[in-house]
Amino acid sequence: MQKRIWVHLAQVAIVLWLLATWEWGFMLNERFDWLVPDILDPYFVSQPSEIWERFLSLACFTDINGVSVFGTETGFTGCLARTPDNLWAMTWATLYNTFWGFVVGVGSGVLIGLVLGRYEGLARIFEPFIIAVNSLPRIALVPLIVLMFGLGDLSKVMTAWVIVFFLVFFNTYEGARSVDRDHINAARLLGASDWQITRTVVVPSTMAWVFASLTPAVSFSLIGVIVGEFIGAEKGLGKVIIEAEATLESADMMVALFVLMVVGVALALGIRRVQAYLLRWQAHFHEVQ
Amino acid sequence: MTAASRIAPADPSAGAPRTDEAPRGAADRVRIEVRGLVKSYRLHGREIAAVDDISFAIREGEFVALIGPSGCGKSTVLNMIAGLIPCTAGDIRIDGQPVRTGRPAPAVGYVFQRDTVYPWRTVRRNIGYGLELTGVPAAEREARIREAVGQAGLEGFEDAYPLALSGGMRQRVALMRTLIVRPEILLMDEPFGALDTHTKLDMHRTLLDIWGRERQTVLFVTHDLAEALTLSDRIIVLSARPGRIKETFEVTLERPRDPVRLRESADYADSFSRIWHCLGEEFAKAKAE
Repeated sequence: MQKRIWVHLAQVAIVLWLLATWEWGFMLNERFDWLVPDILDPYFVSQPSEIWERFLSLACFTDINGVSVFGTETGFTGCLARTPDNLWAMTWATLYNTFWGFVVGVGSGVLIGLVLGRYEGLARIFEPFIIAVNSLPRIALVPLIVLMFGLGDLSKVMTAWVIVFFLVFFNTYEGARSVDRDHINAARLLGASDWQITRTVVVPSTMAWVFASLTPAVSFSLIGVIVGEFIGAEKGLGKVIIEAEATLESADMMVALFVLMVVGVALALGIRRVQAYLLRWQAHFHEVQ
Repeated sequence: MTAASRIAPADPSAGAPRTDEAPRGAADRVRIEVRGLVKSYRLHGREIAAVDDISFAIREGEFVALIGPSGCGKSTVLNMIAGLIPCTAGDIRIDGQPVRTGRPAPAVGYVFQRDTVYPWRTVRRNIGYGLELTGVPAAEREARIREAVGQAGLEGFEDAYPLALSGGMRQRVALMRTLIVRPEILLMDEPFGALDTHTKLDMHRTLLDIWGRERQTVLFVTHDLAEALTLSDRIIVLSARPGRIKETFEVTLERPRDPVRLRESADYADSFSRIWHCLGEEFAKAKAE
C-alpha cells in the first residue's frame, strides 16, 4: 500500500513541475537558453494561466471580459446562445460525427468481413481491390472526401468511416478465416447446417477478433473526424485548432487539444468497458474471484 | 482360460470373433462396416500411404478399441468413418448406408482429442448446443442438461466459462455435449489423451458407467493399451505406417469393470502382456522410422 502513495505523489509532482515550467519556464530562456528550449515561448505554446482563461471563456463560464456568467441575467444558456462557437457545441459536433463514423464503420466492416471471410470465392475476387485501396494512406483521401461531401457532418462521418472500415474489415476477415477447424467440425458432427455453423460458431469466434479492434477503431474514428475538420468544416474541435493556428491563438489551440485528450481518454475507457463485457469469456478480461 | 483370445491375424472378416460362444442374434446387427479402406496423401510430390487396406465390422453395442503407435493412421480411419475426410479407396458404411464426406451420419457422435468446447459459451450452453441445433424446447433442454451435468460431476459449474475449468472438466463438457444428443454410435479419438492419470481413470469410470446403461456402439481410438483393455470388448491393433490391421484381440474381462481394481487382476495382467508384445513391435517400428 505504501508504494501506491509514492506512485501517486510522484505523478502529482510531475504534473506540477510541468505546469510550473510551462507557466514560468520561458522567463529563464533569456539567461539560460541552453536549459530552456525556444519553443517554450508562450507565443507558440501558450501558458496554463492563459489557457485556463480561454477555456472559461470558450466554455461559456465567463463572458468575453472574464466576468463569470453565473449570477448574471442571461447566464450560462444565454452565453451559449450568443456564442455558437462555444466549446460545448464544438465538442458535441466532433463527438457526434465520431460516434456515427464508428458505428457505420464497424457495422459495415463486420458485415463485409464476415461475408468475405466465409465465402472464399468472393474473397478471391475482391482481394486485389481491397489490397489496393488499403495500401493507399486513407488520410490522403480526406481532401477528396471533403470536396465530394462538403463541409458538413457527412464528410466527417465519411472520413472516419474510411479509416475505421478497413481496420475492422481486416480484423473481421482474418478472424472469420481463422475459425478453429475443430470447432466447425464439432458443430457439423452435431448436425449443424451451414447457416447454423455460421451463426453459432463463425460469428462468435470472429467476434473476439472484432472486439479486439474496437479500441483502435474508436481512436481512428476520432482521428478521421479531426482531420476532416482540419481540411474543411464549419464546426468541431479540429476546426477550432486549425482556426487557432490561422489566427495565431495558441491558447485556443491548447484548450481544444486538452478537450480532445479528455474525449480520447473517455472514449477509450468506455470502449474498454464494453470489450470487457463482450469478451468476459476470455482469459484476458476474466475476473478471478 | 485366457481373458483375451487371439483371432486370426489380418483376417478381412475379423469383424466376427470366432469363439465358441453361442451365435449372435439379429439384434447384433452390424452398425459400422469398413472394407478395403485406403488413405494416401500427396506430400512434396510423393505419394504417402497413411492407411492401407483396413477392413472390420462393428456390431450393435460393441465397444471396440483401435490401437497403434503414433502415425499409424488410427485417427485417419476414425475421421474417414466420421465423414470428416474422404477416403482414397474402400467402402465405409454406417447402418448399411455409405458415408459421405462432409455429411456425417446423424446417429453418430464424435469426441475430439483436444477439447473443442466453445470458449464463448458457458458449460450449460455448451452441453445444450446439440439440442439447440435440433430445436429441442427450452424446458426439456434444461432438464437434460441438468441430468448430463450430474452424470459428469460438473454441478456448480453450469454457468462458468470454459476458461475457468481444468482440462479434465472441459473434456467432460465435450463428452456430455456429444452424449446428450443420444447418439447410438460413438467415435472417440483419444479423448482422454491430454488428461493426467487420475483424471483419466475417473473419466474411464464415467464412460463405463454411461456406456453400461446406454450400450452405444463405440469405436475408441487410443495408443494406451491399459485404456483399451479397461474399456473395450475387442481390440484392433494397427501396424506402424502405413496402417494395416496387424491383429485383433477379444477382451473377455468381466463387466462391470472398475478401472483401478481391474489392474489388480491376473486376467488383466495376462491380457496386457499378450497384447503388449504385439503392440510393442509396432511401437518400435514407428520409432525407427
